Amino acid sequence: MAFSANDDLLCVADTKLVLGNWFAECVMNGRSLPDFAAMLGMCTASYGQTRAIYQHLSPGRDAYAQMERGRGPDAISSMELLDVPPQNWEDLVLTAYLSEQATWAMMSSLLDDPDRAVSAIARKVGEEAYFHLKYATGWFQVIRSEDESSERLMEALARRLPLAVDWFGHPDGDTADVAEASTSERSRTQRFLRNVAQDLERVGLQLPDLSQPLDRGEWDSSRRRRSDLPDGLFEIIRFKDPVYAH
Amino acid sequence: MASNSELEEPMNPHTERAPDAGSRPRYYEVFARKDSTDALTHIGSVEAPNDDLAEIRAWYVYDQHRWREMCVVPTEAIVTVRPRPGDVIRIKAV
Repeated sequence: MAFSANDDLLCVADTKLVLGNWFAECVMNGRSLPDFAAMLGMCTASYGQTRAIYQHLSPGRDAYAQMERGRGPDAISSMELLDVPPQNWEDLVLTAYLSEQATWAMMSSLLDDPDRAVSAIARKVGEEAYFHLKYATGWFQVIRSEDESSERLMEALARRLPLAVDWFGHPDGDTADVAEASTSERSRTQRFLRNVAQDLERVGLQLPDLSQPLDRGEWDSSRRRRSDLPDGLFEIIRFKDPVYAH
Repeated sequence: MASNSELEEPMNPHTERAPDAGSRPRYYEVFARKDSTDALTHIGSVEAPNDDLAEIRAWYVYDQHRWREMCVVPTEAIVTVRPRPGDVIRIKAV
């Protein structure tokens, strides 16, 4: 199964769009002013990455407008990992972390892309991912110091990690067996899992069992999804008509 | 997983807040410089439960410039050389 580079970029851009909205929606779940500032900073950074990729993929005003505002929920290519909203703070931190790790695993393979615009976007995503990931690992340390909080983190990990792995793709469209994926996909998946395992190990946690395949419909390689974006989520993330902003 | 009907409901900010990270809060001083010819200057302070979150909170709170360099130092690591005005200087009698 072939993956298109532009499709992959759009998958990252749409994922960042949804992730930015997650941060915007959850700002008030923070506990302190520095947390609000950090979440808003990560929100705007995510939107910035989305728009930079949209502009690269759709140069020109009309094409950009179509890209940003002209697509429905069946054309959004965000990670299914982000379809269900965070259930608690631990779930928010963990899911944002997995999204960042997964998109960075994808974008880091473009750092030496012959298209300098693409390599520059990849570099910028990497610079910002450093802070976003550190925010999460900082919270992991706090979460691990409390038993109940730790349990919620592990529950979220067991629920979310298979969806994150699923994003990297499968050769025949219906298996979650990482070993059967193409070489580049396997390399990205392994890099992603290695990075996650290392960060979890630092706080005394291990990767959960990933042997259970996801049984959730047919895999769409261009969107890296198995279903359309839920309508409720689309209403939150879609860019609103500019006329209503004045 | 939650059902789709829950999708429009973000976490309730009154019941699902971040855990209390301040059981043993630490304070950090933040230093930065705009370019390599500037001196590293104290620009503020942050409270955070660990070094990672101190780094991130400083980065996002003090984002008024595109700093070339920024660092945080635990306040407790600072050794006072000259006491602040009003501090009592205690000299051990010999």
